[in-house]
Amino acid sequence: MSDLQSSMNDQRNPVRREFLRSAAAAGLGLATGGAVEKTATPPPATPERPGAPTGDPIPLRQFGRADVKVSALGMGGHHLGDFKTIEEAIAAVHEAIDGGITFFDNCWEYHNGKSENWLGRALLGRRDKVFLMTKVCTHGRSAELAMEMLEQSLIRLQTDHLDLWQIHGVTFDNDPELAYRKGGVIEALEQAKKAGKVRFVGFTGHKDPAIHLKMIQMGYPFDAVQMPLNPFDGNFHSFERQVIPEARKRGFAVLGMKPMNGTAEAIKKGVFKPEEMLRYAMSLPVTTTIAGIDTLDVLRQNLKVAQGFTPMAAAEMDDLRKRCADAAGDGRFELYKMSLKYDNPQAREPHHFPLDPTIKEVKDMFKGVMSASP
Amino acid sequence: MSESNRPIDINAALPGPNRRQFLQTTAAAGLTFANAGAGAAESPQVSNVGPDRVPRKALGKTGVEVSAMGLGGYSLADSPTLEEATQIVHEAVEAGINFFDNAWEYHDGRSEEWMGQALKGLRDKVFLMTKVCTHGRDKNVAMQQLEQSLKRLNTDHLDLWQIHECVYWNDPEWHFRKGGVVEALDQAKKQGKVRFVGFTGHKHPDIHLAMLSHDYPFDTVQMPLNCFDASYRSFEKNVLPEVIRRGMGALGMKSLCGGGSGIINSPISVQDALRYAMSLPVSTTISGVDSLTVLRQNLAVARGFKPLDASQMQALRDKCAQAAGDGHLELYKSTKKFDGKPGREQHGFPLAEALPV
Repeated sequence: MSDLQSSMNDQRNPVRREFLRSAAAAGLGLATGGAVEKTATPPPATPERPGAPTGDPIPLRQFGRADVKVSALGMGGHHLGDFKTIEEAIAAVHEAIDGGITFFDNCWEYHNGKSENWLGRALLGRRDKVFLMTKVCTHGRSAELAMEMLEQSLIRLQTDHLDLWQIHGVTFDNDPELAYRKGGVIEALEQAKKAGKVRFVGFTGHKDPAIHLKMIQMGYPFDAVQMPLNPFDGNFHSFERQVIPEARKRGFAVLGMKPMNGTAEAIKKGVFKPEEMLRYAMSLPVTTTIAGIDTLDVLRQNLKVAQGFTPMAAAEMDDLRKRCADAAGDGRFELYKMSLKYDNPQAREPHHFPLDPTIKEVKDMFKGVMSASP
Repeated sequence: MSESNRPIDINAALPGPNRRQFLQTTAAAGLTFANAGAGAAESPQVSNVGPDRVPRKALGKTGVEVSAMGLGGYSLADSPTLEEATQIVHEAVEAGINFFDNAWEYHDGRSEEWMGQALKGLRDKVFLMTKVCTHGRDKNVAMQQLEQSLKRLNTDHLDLWQIHECVYWNDPEWHFRKGGVVEALDQAKKQGKVRFVGFTGHKHPDIHLAMLSHDYPFDTVQMPLNCFDASYRSFEKNVLPEVIRRGMGALGMKSLCGGGSGIINSPISVQDALRYAMSLPVSTTISGVDSLTVLRQNLAVARGFKPLDASQMQALRDKCAQAAGDGHLELYKSTKKFDGKPGREQHGFPLAEALPV
């Protein structure tokens, strides 16, 4: 859930918060909506487990080929910038670390730098406790530009190195060619590794398994690859089926995102409970699942699933996929695959795609909103 | 060309010279119709060739010939007034355009109504197509839409009725399900309300191929075809040869990438873009016309049209290959921009206000 979500924030966050409250009160008896009606099994009438996270450890998992372990739940950087204040964001990061989260996601372009700035502040004195990732946003442009972005990210994150630096938003059909071209961003990955500024490198994207496969097949030895993974994806243009096996074959760490489809629409419509969607994603053969967290409530909800996590049985995962198979068939719950909704202005502009005035980041751009410097 | 291979013109009311006359003309002029893509040998037969004439081409195996340029129904209702729309239709018919495109959902029915009014007294001179917009709903909805379309278009039959906008990945499954729209195609044909049937879509070659994989005897298949398409999720490379192999009539659209938006910022001129599309082995190229100016610009290309040769077509493809690579010039494939409201509603997608692209 770490890619662009600002467009949905106004709708999504209240919805999910509201869901968590009403679900607890009503025993999750949400009405099933519209087209999913046929396939959705009503949620079981067991009440929400009360109480706080258990405090058990979050499992640590192997990071690809490296002798490194990271928490099975990661904290998404985009949503960090959605907290109401920097103080609340910092408190959430601290509680996440205390709760056992070590994997922290971010990106140069999130909230025009605010997400990196806030995470940098939150990690003061705690840098050594975490595995810090951010992403570079050349979107087809040069290695030189990538290195400038790296310096900015390091300053904002108040560190001298990243644990993982990923090419962000490999989204358009020609992005692989543009990344691998002479003077393209892949050269920056090499340069940054040699300079000791990044330990590991990877790439991310939410659009099409074929684009991921092209990036992989073009041969660069990435350490990690990030992709949307959830029960809908298991049915439709599936990263789970098409990309995970190829990534694992090469020893790349698989990083899942969008465990709740980015918008939690399926939760709102009563197809799934948030816990089962997160458990599904975390039960796949992934190194970590990056979840968007924008309130302490959501953090605690996620910690409750992750602490002492035991994977779902294969039959239960199959049941979840089946439950949403019909609704998954046209991508209505995966708009990151089927539309430009989740493609930041920073991704669209270098590719000359139209901006979307309904997206918060575009509104912000025109308002000239920039983050405070660290 | 042997006698038995020639299409039979059963559309007796079509204006223009007869087939024999065409054969003499072509023999005299020594015309060749070289094509890239699906190959010259598979190109539709051409007639009505002459310096000021819009050529006619065979429509698949139907035995009908249609004008190499068709008039798009959506843009017709974008013209400022019904009067101008009527003038456009009349001038187009006089110039030899006989293929008229429309759809039940265009401008909430205004496109069909205006075309129906404009075609009063001219119905027999044209090959009239409209599209059915069930977007997954059942055949009863389709048959109701057919009655509405016939009424709006002031006619008792359509020459071609196509399933509109197969752009969602589960559309093929929905259309072919029991009680789905494909059954309405059969029913309408049996009732004599439509002569031929087909389907359309602008999204992805694989969706078209999935439609074709059901082996239903469609007469036509409509798809976006232009020099950018060749380098991005290409219908020309992936669908056109299969349509021709099956003897169906290929209908091209979006020769200017949909409203000309793509072309304006590209290295290709409008005329070259149109020539490229019309040079493919298609039966017609449906072009959106919203003013007499645009109509005359199009007619200047269509009259006396001679296809580009293979090397000219390759040069145009090469010229725009790089710009075409990410799909920003073909927003109907790469974004939600061209996906209509009824389809979004049936598939549970946000409407254009919330999801413009």
